[in-house]
Amino acid sequence: MLRAKNVLRKLISLFTVILHMRKIDGITRVGAIVVTIILIVAVVGGVLYWYMSVGPAAPRKVKIAVVSDIGGRGDLSFNDMAFKGGDEAEKDFGVEMVELVSKVEADYVPNLEIGAKDPDVKLIVGVGFLLSDALVEVAIKYPDKNFAGIDTYSQDIVKEKYPDKYPLPNLMDIKFEEHKGSALVGAVGCLLAAYYNEKGGKYPYIGGVFGIEIPVLWKFEIGYKWGCDWALKWYENKFGHKAPIIGEDSRYGTGPNWKEGMYCPPETPGQCWYKGRVLWTYTGTFSDITKGYEAAKPMYAKGAIAVYNIAGPLGLGINQAVKEIAEARGLKMGPPFWIGVDANQDWINPGFVVVSMMKRVDKGVYYATKLVLEGKFRDVVKQYNGVLTLGIGTQVMGTPMEGISASTLKDLDEFIQMGVEAEKLTGKKVLPMGPDEIKAKVKEMRDSVAPWIWEALAELEDKIRKGEVEVPLAFTKDAIDYWRNILG
Amino acid sequence: MLGMFNRLKKSIIETLIVVLIGFVGGAILMIIFGYDPIAAYMKLFKGSVLSIDGILESLANAVPLMLTGLTFAIGVRSGYFNVGAEGQAYMGAIGAVIIAGSISLPYGVHLAAATLFSMIVGALWSLPVSALKAWRGVHEVVSTIMLNWIALFLVRYLIEYYYYEPGRAERALPALPTARYSVIGASLSTIIFVTIGFTILIYFILWRTTLGYELRLTGSNPEAARYVGVNYVKVIFLNFFIGGLAAGLAGASQVIGRPPAWTIYKTLGNVINLGFNGIGVALIGRNHPLGIIFSSIFLGILLYGSRFMQYLGIDPDLTVAINGIIVLFLSLPELYSMVKRYIVGGK
Repeated sequence: MLRAKNVLRKLISLFTVILHMRKIDGITRVGAIVVTIILIVAVVGGVLYWYMSVGPAAPRKVKIAVVSDIGGRGDLSFNDMAFKGGDEAEKDFGVEMVELVSKVEADYVPNLEIGAKDPDVKLIVGVGFLLSDALVEVAIKYPDKNFAGIDTYSQDIVKEKYPDKYPLPNLMDIKFEEHKGSALVGAVGCLLAAYYNEKGGKYPYIGGVFGIEIPVLWKFEIGYKWGCDWALKWYENKFGHKAPIIGEDSRYGTGPNWKEGMYCPPETPGQCWYKGRVLWTYTGTFSDITKGYEAAKPMYAKGAIAVYNIAGPLGLGINQAVKEIAEARGLKMGPPFWIGVDANQDWINPGFVVVSMMKRVDKGVYYATKLVLEGKFRDVVKQYNGVLTLGIGTQVMGTPMEGISASTLKDLDEFIQMGVEAEKLTGKKVLPMGPDEIKAKVKEMRDSVAPWIWEALAELEDKIRKGEVEVPLAFTKDAIDYWRNILG
Repeated sequence: MLGMFNRLKKSIIETLIVVLIGFVGGAILMIIFGYDPIAAYMKLFKGSVLSIDGILESLANAVPLMLTGLTFAIGVRSGYFNVGAEGQAYMGAIGAVIIAGSISLPYGVHLAAATLFSMIVGALWSLPVSALKAWRGVHEVVSTIMLNWIALFLVRYLIEYYYYEPGRAERALPALPTARYSVIGASLSTIIFVTIGFTILIYFILWRTTLGYELRLTGSNPEAARYVGVNYVKVIFLNFFIGGLAAGLAGASQVIGRPPAWTIYKTLGNVINLGFNGIGVALIGRNHPLGIIFSSIFLGILLYGSRFMQYLGIDPDLTVAINGIIVLFLSLPELYSMVKRYIVGGK
């Protein structure tokens, strides 16, 4: 502070001198300019010299640099979660996190690069698939540094553009098993329908609002539909009869391959499926919130008990549709519900978001830091061809590294805290009500439905973890066509 | 000649003074928020001027700003307040995507076609502005701002439904290798030579041709211009059209002249604000093409260097404010003389 003040004083006096010079006649003005330039050079040079000679000698901490995409801080999902992972790494491992928020796409490369140039930085994390290209360029340029990308497909780009370098030893794409998480929430959705139908409701469907049709979303779609099928079979097993309406009705299809509301295709001999229970729409956008509203509204009108948001901000459009129904009927709590994605979104409209499929971006940053500090980062890259997939029951070199789960009451706190911080950062109201009120309401909602729904969820999670069931992974055109034929 | 030298001297002194005031202003802001301004400025300049990569990145940032600065400057020189560079840059960018990303042509031809087409698309986007101005007297600020928004949504629509990259829906088709300017280093490509060449060309047009004289005469004294028979409709159309060419090229420079994406994102995040930043560049550069070359590089340095201030822990939003204050002070002399001219002219 004192330094700054001194320099300020110097600058001000210099400025006064120049002002007076302007009154002098023509010839001395040239002199004035020369003097001014010399003065500025002298001041800047002097300050530079002084600063360089008194460099800090404090012990150096290992640093990690986290580069956000243009969503930046305060987005309550992707970027905030990545920074949260960095915060936790700071706490647990004593590293120092440098945050770099990208304002435009052109910032990606330079932001990654200044992290790479700092000798203390051991790991540079790029958050979000938009950084894939930039990560490749910078990782090639700085082979001694470690790079990790959340949801990126950098190694695919390496394979395509620089096949002789694939897989790049210092670059790790961190991906998530979204199909498994989607299966969990699909199961919750269909069991909810079964439960409310038992009580006299009429809910023949669950719904899903998707963004642009890209292979990543197929993972969500098939996982979700498969989860519903699993749950209805679980119900049949447990209670000895089919789930009311959603399990038995003949509205879903008739014909030679249909038996008691189930589809028994020749492709899977002896096996029948609950086909057509999921209403689904690809809106073709990840940004137009009104499209989320437009897609969700008819789903609720047809009797979908819950609609899964697989289109980022379009969830707010789904929420709008739910709010309208709640207002019209004077509801304090669902049904109808919606299902959150990526973060724990249960707090956005407490009582109406039944569960969220959580993709723990924070864990991605945390584990990547851990691997770097333990010196295992490059071994893992080598072993998995540069892609670390976090899911349910993931083990990496003997260490559990999970990254997918269904939201619980317990982790709601962390996300409410994120909302509180976002309010501080943006100055805008984020939370719909006080933190305690949110928690109470979410708990009330969870208690209002049958406990066996949550038991089934835990059971499915456990089975996936132990490998007793396999959630289908649809990532190609053939696979998606095959599974849509079976599950609708 | 001596008079010109004196004026040049005067503007150099003025510029030096406002540079100082600007930096002091930014420093005060940092002191208020409890940061060390000297350390921050040191870091800024060390990162952006004292390293090869920094210089290359700063120059890469300067390329589009030089062009959008020109758009505004040509407008001011001809007496119009043209803030349409923003939308024209979007149009230029999608123009570049259309030719560079979706059509195959041999190398060289493809590059030239993409460059020219994007410039023309940018320029065509200025025609409604000129027409409304010339025949209906609609103020150019109103029409350009409206067209900026139309361009934003039109380009997003075109990307969403026609020119998206399959499998990577977040962005438009990238420029094919045959339509890319070669990379010099970091994010800088050879498009900078085209840009500087175009800027110098504009200087010659404005100061060495009859057309340029007519534009400048209209700008400095519309009454006199009309008296000597300058066709004001021609002046309106040409100044906006040339400005559109520059802005179109600015948008294209982000597609065919900047690695590693070689395309625009659907958010338009890599073209947004180029036009508005160009206004600051033009004002700092005294609305003179040659001044704009330097002022765009200066702003390029600030934009690149501000991430180093972030690296010191300064809030990213504050770094934007600091840059804003510096640019604001630097623009003041020209802004002052523009306002003065406007008031005197209005009498």
